[in-house]
Amino acid sequence: MKTDLFIIGGGPAGLHAASVAATYGIETMIVDESFSLGGQLRQQTQQLRNLPKSFKTQTGTALAKQMIEKLRQLDVTKLVKHTMIGTYQDGRIGVTDGHRTIPISANKIIVATGAAEEACAFPGWTLPGVMTVGAAQILLNREYVRPGKNALILGSNNFALQVAKQLAEGGVNVKGIIENKERMEGNETETIDQLQKIGVPLYFNSTIQRAFGREKVEKVILNHGHKALEMDVDLICIGKGLSPILEPFEILDCHFTYEQALGGWLPVYSLSMQTSNPSVYVAGNAAGITDMGAILLTAEIAAVSIAESLECVNNADADKTRKLLWQELEQIESESFKRTFQARANVVKRFQEETDLSQVNGQ
Amino acid sequence: MKISPDKLVEDNQNKEIPFYFNGKLLKAKQGQTIAAALMANGICKFGVSRKLQQPRGLFCANGRCCSCFVSVNGLDHVLSCMTQVEAGANISSNEGDPNVRREVNEN
Repeated sequence: MKTDLFIIGGGPAGLHAASVAATYGIETMIVDESFSLGGQLRQQTQQLRNLPKSFKTQTGTALAKQMIEKLRQLDVTKLVKHTMIGTYQDGRIGVTDGHRTIPISANKIIVATGAAEEACAFPGWTLPGVMTVGAAQILLNREYVRPGKNALILGSNNFALQVAKQLAEGGVNVKGIIENKERMEGNETETIDQLQKIGVPLYFNSTIQRAFGREKVEKVILNHGHKALEMDVDLICIGKGLSPILEPFEILDCHFTYEQALGGWLPVYSLSMQTSNPSVYVAGNAAGITDMGAILLTAEIAAVSIAESLECVNNADADKTRKLLWQELEQIESESFKRTFQARANVVKRFQEETDLSQVNGQ
Repeated sequence: MKISPDKLVEDNQNKEIPFYFNGKLLKAKQGQTIAAALMANGICKFGVSRKLQQPRGLFCANGRCCSCFVSVNGLDHVLSCMTQVEAGANISSNEGDPNVRREVNEN
């Protein structure tokens, strides 16, 4: 198969990049390993805050529906249940459905693989009933299955707090939120207030000593200050943050850098969201862990820049659009976590330095 | 079952379909993943670890951690969190590493 633009990942970044690119008249193909498009939006039933100006405030599930509907009206080839597993020597990309592998030749590629949740090992963490907060949210909101009756949340970032609230509202008895630091990591006051109203206890300076159970988790012992606390739980949700998914960048020979505020290792990229491999662009959480607003904006920047390089829009117009998008990105990211945008600026600066160096070396 | 990429999961969750887990007849909602259907039936342990045979179940629900392997219609190491239940599917728990040299060693 052949396409101008190949997008890896059908979550918010991939979907938005696809619709912007196709609107510019670019022949676009989008692939996702799941059985449906939408990515993590599919279980985000909460109202999304801080979306770009061109989006109205809505839930994640509504946004997914809207974006999928938009793609239906555009010339975009959608490939679900297919995973990118490598590249051929001639540069074509191999995607597989587990039975056969299809080579795809593309002019430009956007990697929008999103993020993976960090694990947190403690004795007993491999027992059934111990899962990530994201897994619990998928069960509850996408699959309509209550993941447990009595739950403990490990971690207090915004995502963990959001899922704790949704579990409590969904009829799960949330027995506590465990944070090893002395204060809350998340800053969404609305969610924090609601958790307080529900009466979910917060355990600061606390860790899990051990989880017990025969076939699944039944009991947990906490280190709470100097005391050991015992609790009967059948669900432990680990919410220790996200990090970008990087395998496709490795396969595609992209250079990496490290920024803790963006979730750790990630590809270096330019103001066009172009990586060190000139045909590969990055969008969404794969370009650094951030808010939904910034996920959509980075996708739009990548799509506009690809439209520019494929001569579907002139340089002046692309430049103007890109500047506006970066301004909005700075505004949105600075509202939630200022460090995120600063780290992003560092990544772009490093890309520039690398480019300058390779010019000096005559490469 | 042909899957349309334009469909979100929630659109077809009303119809109930039968499936088997370790020979036992259970019900799932159409469109549900195998992992979710098992948990809805009160089953958290999907199999055991490869070396120490410790219980394993759903962990990341996103196809990355490989903790939720099951066997489906004779095919081992299927990610139960990324695979939707099909009517009549014969699913069994993952009992460690599959015997990939089955034909060579058969006697």
